[in-house]
Amino acid sequence: MLFILLRQSFTNQMKAMFLMFLSVAMGTAVSASLVAISLDVQGKVSRELRSFGANITIEPKVEGLAGLAGQRRFLSEEDIPKAKTIFWRHNIIGLTPFLELEALLEVAHSGATSKRKVMGAWFDHSIMLPGESEPFDAGVSSVMPWWEVSGSAPGEGEALVGVSLAQELGIKSGDTVRLMGRDLRVSGTLSTGGAEDGLLVLNLNELQSLSGNEGALTRVMVSALTTPMDEFAYKDPDTMSKVEYEKWYCTGYVTSIAKQLEEVFGGSRVKPIWRVAETEGRVLERLTVLVYLLTLAALVAAALGMSTTLAASVLRRLDEIALMKAVGADRMGISIIFLAETFIIGLAGGLVGYLISLAAAHYIGVEVFGSALDQKGILLPASILSALGISSLAAWLPIRRALMVKPAVVLKEVH
Amino acid sequence: MTAFIEIKDVLKEYGTATALRGVSFAVERGQWCAVVGASGSGKSTMLNIIGGLDSPSSGCVSMDGVDLCALGEDPMARFRRENVGYVFQQSHLVPYLTSVENVMLAQYFHSLTDEDEAREALARVGMDHRLGHRPSQLSGGEQQRVCIARALINSPKVLLADEPTGNLDRENTTLILGLLKRLHTEEHFTIIMVTHDAYVAGWAGRVVTMEDGLIVKDEPSDR
Ligand SMILES: Nc1ncnc2c1ncn2[C@@H]1O[C@H](COP(=O)(O)OP(=O)(O)O)[C@@H](O)[C@H]1O
Ligand SMILES: [Mg+2]
Repeated sequence: MLFILLRQSFTNQMKAMFLMFLSVAMGTAVSASLVAISLDVQGKVSRELRSFGANITIEPKVEGLAGLAGQRRFLSEEDIPKAKTIFWRHNIIGLTPFLELEALLEVAHSGATSKRKVMGAWFDHSIMLPGESEPFDAGVSSVMPWWEVSGSAPGEGEALVGVSLAQELGIKSGDTVRLMGRDLRVSGTLSTGGAEDGLLVLNLNELQSLSGNEGALTRVMVSALTTPMDEFAYKDPDTMSKVEYEKWYCTGYVTSIAKQLEEVFGGSRVKPIWRVAETEGRVLERLTVLVYLLTLAALVAAALGMSTTLAASVLRRLDEIALMKAVGADRMGISIIFLAETFIIGLAGGLVGYLISLAAAHYIGVEVFGSALDQKGILLPASILSALGISSLAAWLPIRRALMVKPAVVLKEVH
Repeated sequence: MTAFIEIKDVLKEYGTATALRGVSFAVERGQWCAVVGASGSGKSTMLNIIGGLDSPSSGCVSMDGVDLCALGEDPMARFRRENVGYVFQQSHLVPYLTSVENVMLAQYFHSLTDEDEAREALARVGMDHRLGHRPSQLSGGEQQRVCIARALINSPKVLLADEPTGNLDRENTTLILGLLKRLHTEEHFTIIMVTHDAYVAGWAGRVVTMEDGLIVKDEPSDR
């Protein structure tokens, strides 16, 4: 009988039923795609934000008398592959080493000399990692994609001049400069918008051997995907309990990744670049809040849409409800009919909404982030449950209205 | 010992209007009682209160020893479907259900549906040839017969009928009354029937006359 009542209810009020189904399906589709995006977006946006450059620097530890005496300390080039052996190795998406020192620079054609900062860097340089078959790009462009070289990257016996240095000393591509007793051909100019514009840049290995600092580095810049800092992340690891420390260590905070890098780079001091790390955290946090608010709004809109339609349907069916009560339906009997309708609409709406969200999330992933979203399977049951939830919520008031029907009054009104 | 159906000092007010002004009235098991009176005299109100569709503003109603006024909404609904069969003046049927489905609806809210039993009930009122028809495809008399079948399906103790022949021609009226008579004599149904038609009232064993919310006359039928 319930089946007959439901079948009739659906065929007699196709428009209302379709509207309710549409509300739930659209609400579920929008919220499920938003949640799908937000589950995946942290990684995606965080990756996008990484084009703003390094968020961690590794430098030699300078302490005690050595620091006071201005004695130079170095990092070791041998430690670089170890960065990809730490717990969060997969989050290290770029790293590139530098050697910086001061040297006397002489411009061949003018004879001008000047004491200048010189930097060694890797251009188009891949390293092999232990246990991996694919080489890892450790070139400067993996971390500083905005470095603009006009001409070509410096090979052996070559150097790049920063644009402001070039202007100051009147150096052009093809000129020769003399550094530590060696003539270098200028292969091009470098424009970064930063301090590098005033430097002479050589291939790292060339500068190391010229200056007699084989295998030595003064800095490694690291670009890592991180979990936004939360309150817990700001706790001092030294005061944490063992359990807390484990949790902290195994969460991809910029600080715990820094700590792990410090452990593998001998004599190093590793610091987050807070300006970058914090901005990133804030952007992600706001994005997440925004997505959840939108999700909530979509669900509320769906519930309202369904509720109004169902209320109108109840009003149309007052006679029928009164009659059912007159022939003996109790509150449960009436509720079951409407709840069953609601359940069917919720189930169908949830399912279809989920399917739409699959397509929508895929589309958004490809259009906005350039790669498909990684859909979480949990979203199917979650969509159906939330669709059932909002439709029951939406049905609450209309069903109360139906239960309030007084059979004697309504049946009389028809007279 | 109270009577099978008993109402005592029943007052019913609708806002400022008073539909019943302290009515007392008893019906014995197996009686067929007609309630007559002008339109607006309170007949339907009294019938609805006896059947538990409506509750009195004050006074008591009891049926088969159960105090109906003490029952909450759901127990009242359960009591009604166990004990009372209702026939309305306008054949209130669910428009999108067939005859047999309309009868099964009462079974559904009572306990379980049984299509064969529903068919039998329709056969008892001579409607076995219209099982699959919707109310709009039936004549007024046929609709009313479906209503009677629906009222009888759960084997109630009482049949309450509010102007069951109000919209019918003489031929159909006689047919419906013949049905009620058979239920009364063969199956000993207790019947309370509201009407304003003296011919119809004449079929009952007892005629109660109402006027302006009060019972003014209560006598055996002259038939
Ligand atoms: N739901 C209601 N609201 C207000 N007044 C009502 C209602 N039902 C009945 N009445 C009034 O109560 C009186 C009795 O009505 P009713 O019992 O239907 O009379 P009858 O069935 O004898 O024609 C009438 O005056 C009617 O207007
Ligand atoms: Mg009436």
